[in-house]
Amino acid sequence: MTVEGLQEKVRKGKRITQEEGLFLFRNLELLDLGALANEIRFQKNPERCVTYLIDTNPNYSNVCNIDCIFCAFYRHPGEKGEYTYTVDQMIQNFKEAAAQGVTTVLLQGGVHPSLTFDYYLEMVRRTVAEVPQIYPHFFSTSEIIGMSEISGLTIKEVLRQLWDAGLRSIPGGGAEILADRVKKKISSKKGTSADWLDVMREAHRIGYKSTATMMYGHLETDEDILEHLESIRKLQDETGGFTAFVPWSFKPGNTPLEKIIPHYASSTRYLQIIAFSRIYLDNFPHIQASWFSEGKKTGQIALHFGADDFGGTLLEENVHAAANFVNKTNIEECIQLIHESGFAAAQRTTLYEILGVTQPAEVAA
Amino acid sequence: MGQTIHFMDTSLIPIWQKVQRGERLSFEDGLTMFRTSDVISLGKMAHFVQKERSGDAVYFVLNQKIEPTNICVLACKFCDFATKAGRPDAYGMTIHEILHKLTPDIHEVHITGGLHPDWEWDYYLEMLRQIKAQFPNVDIKAFTAVEIDFFHKKFKLPIDEVLRQLKEAGMRTMPGGGAEVFSERVRKRLFSSKIGAKVWLDIHRAAHLMGIPTNSTILYGHIETLEERVDHLVKLRTLQDETRGFLTFIPLAFQPGDTGIKPTNRFTSAIDDLKMIAVSRLMLDNFPHIKAYWVMLTEEVASVALNFGADDLDGTVGGEKIAHDAGAITPMQLTKEKIIKIIRDAGKIPVERDVFYNPLNVFSPGVVGKIPYLNSVPFYHHFAKRQFKILPVSPRRMGILSRNSQMDAGLFSLADYLSQKDILTPLPFCIATRDQVKSVMLFSNHGWQELNNKVIGIIDDTATSVKLLQVLLEKKYGVKAELRRLHSGVNDYEDFDAVLLIGDEALRHQKFGLGKFELVYDLATEWYEWQKLPFVFAVWAIRKALPQESRDELASLIQNALLKGEVEFERISQAHAGRIGLTPAEATEYLQGFNYRMGEREWRAIEVFENLLTSVESEVGRS
Repeated sequence: MTVEGLQEKVRKGKRITQEEGLFLFRNLELLDLGALANEIRFQKNPERCVTYLIDTNPNYSNVCNIDCIFCAFYRHPGEKGEYTYTVDQMIQNFKEAAAQGVTTVLLQGGVHPSLTFDYYLEMVRRTVAEVPQIYPHFFSTSEIIGMSEISGLTIKEVLRQLWDAGLRSIPGGGAEILADRVKKKISSKKGTSADWLDVMREAHRIGYKSTATMMYGHLETDEDILEHLESIRKLQDETGGFTAFVPWSFKPGNTPLEKIIPHYASSTRYLQIIAFSRIYLDNFPHIQASWFSEGKKTGQIALHFGADDFGGTLLEENVHAAANFVNKTNIEECIQLIHESGFAAAQRTTLYEILGVTQPAEVAA
Repeated sequence: MGQTIHFMDTSLIPIWQKVQRGERLSFEDGLTMFRTSDVISLGKMAHFVQKERSGDAVYFVLNQKIEPTNICVLACKFCDFATKAGRPDAYGMTIHEILHKLTPDIHEVHITGGLHPDWEWDYYLEMLRQIKAQFPNVDIKAFTAVEIDFFHKKFKLPIDEVLRQLKEAGMRTMPGGGAEVFSERVRKRLFSSKIGAKVWLDIHRAAHLMGIPTNSTILYGHIETLEERVDHLVKLRTLQDETRGFLTFIPLAFQPGDTGIKPTNRFTSAIDDLKMIAVSRLMLDNFPHIKAYWVMLTEEVASVALNFGADDLDGTVGGEKIAHDAGAITPMQLTKEKIIKIIRDAGKIPVERDVFYNPLNVFSPGVVGKIPYLNSVPFYHHFAKRQFKILPVSPRRMGILSRNSQMDAGLFSLADYLSQKDILTPLPFCIATRDQVKSVMLFSNHGWQELNNKVIGIIDDTATSVKLLQVLLEKKYGVKAELRRLHSGVNDYEDFDAVLLIGDEALRHQKFGLGKFELVYDLATEWYEWQKLPFVFAVWAIRKALPQESRDELASLIQNALLKGEVEFERISQAHAGRIGLTPAEATEYLQGFNYRMGEREWRAIEVFENLLTSVESEVGRS
């Protein structure tokens, strides 16, 4: 096994094994990874064009009893600062967002211990009916498992009823690292890797689309990252239901894990992961770089390291903010950041349909 | 180090061919690189050069920034820092306040500030003197060319005199600020009252000639054109050819703040930042270092820049104010721990340095030292690293780092190997001369016999050569001279009767001469004529504490690298000769003069030298 040989294999469009992947991940220099990922990106998506989404990430509740040690957002039931909004309040929130041009709402909790399943169904139904400009991208796998527990319905039945209410797409959050060795340490009550994958499998079978995410930079090893990527590549072979892969780094601020991991991973690590995921996830159409999660400048660079999507404008965001990581943009700036990186900017929907393209006035210096 | 780049922009290919051959890039090449959208290929070319210069090392310094005043007689449009006396935010620090800000754990203090209308010349000199007296381990980097020019005019002293007095008071190096962009067009619009290119360059030239190394900068991302950026780089490169006095180049991203220069008040894009770093590394072929100054560049871009040509992250920068007044978003003090993490994440070795880039602490296992001289290139040109990382380091520093357990292996100066036989195991590779060497040279105005009681200047990185010189003086010629370190750099020879140079500096000066000195002696020739033996200057060795597999692995890596390197002297010469000032043919001839494998005669030579050494005093006075 040599890095040269493996690069050649990838260039010829052949799949690399998990073991080969680990070798490449560890031994290929950053810019070699980037160059290879960039080649693949342009093979898959030859346009010098980067997509973005006008969206918002509100949270209907911060009440949660899962106690993930990487999270600064949740509150226990009855704890100071806990909140839960009514469906009415959320619909009002969506209407205000829609008025600002938002097309997608990524909605998540807390995994609330006592909200009924009807609350969630009503949230979907009323969104579809009352705010038709908005595409609902609601509920992580953990919340879906929570709904199943509270309603006594199977996962499949929960997903079926949400589908019937009008939900078509679910976010990929809650995966963290799909390696149970790590999950036991950082989120022991959240369920296993298989749980996350099973919900996604069921959802894709029904017809849902979803993203796949990964949160790195805490207790995981390179092997764990490979295990994660291998799991989602396998599931994608089976279902084809993932639209994009979205990695971000753990933000330690205000979390119990901060004592052990005081700093978040550097931008170099992010670029390494973006590039490698493009190489390894050969069956994923899109790799999402975010102006948000690592910083605007890192996001710009990632567009040259294999990513072809710039994520959403995130009108509202609460989870990173709780960890003192705040980063804001607006639609104009989002487009400008893409232009400065040397790409046209295309507004898309949740499912990657293009709504309109803005060409750069001139290629940035 | 053979490398393939899959160019998306084919206009970069001719530039890559030049880079691999070590040829100088043209003005047009500079523009082509700024205009490319193939950012990764540009980065890979710059990273190639970076690795040739700095191996895997990325430097940082524990430093403190002192801005003694924000009161300034100038009013530059891009500056949010300066103010006028009497305004509520105006301040001026007393020497006592300045000393209070310093701590003994730092290695560098960086002093720049406003041009204060009322302060006396003595105040500045006294500031430096007291810092030096109270913090002898802190090197002073002080005063931009703008301030030097201000002193010259305000105190009616010639530039040379200003510099001489500051140096005497304790200034070791000068920062590179105030260069902005070397363009009259931009100067007239943004900082018309500030010195222009000519004065800035003249002051840095004067400093270099006086033995004061300096930094250099560009302020980019405002109204300058790409042509003006390239022109700026070419002007710096030209001066560096003349003086070799620049330590590093620092691209400074313009921070819009409230300065009102840019219509959109936008920060530079990350792509522009990375291009600026990469193009600088590629154009400034005679600059040892390129710095990613995280305060202005942001931590995120600075981190990536470490793979785009930058080999320095600056430092902990306590007390930075100017950039923060313009809204820079980095935390005020990036802790040492975090700097180390950023460098490691980039796949590099964190190296804590002093103001002259001497490595003080290395924060990585598996470090192999690389002597940054032409004669060691055949070992390193094809060295496939595997678990090892490369740190270029002077022979003397390699010895110190090894003694402090911060280096696993390397091509050690013979003197260091001999004094560390308790912890080092030799490998059968070396740098040994046949008869002459050309890179360990004594420049003198006196014959050997007349050197008795004279003062010979030596450079800080010459352990074996100094001992060889002592052996020759005392044992071959029966004279005794006082050896004293040069204050700073090769140009600082005025007070000496002779000067010993080694490495590429010696090579350059054996060809072109060194100032006032008329006699030039090759120490290897002197040794050969006396002992009829080769002289072994350096020996490959590895820490005894490491397992046998590591020794075998390293020996096989060296063997493989050498087999490839030895048949490529012409290519190596092609790539490196220009930097030293030799023709490729001269460089090839030089390389052919060495034996790279230990044999019976080499071991014998070491033994003879070791015996002679035991009876020679090794007292070297500090200047």
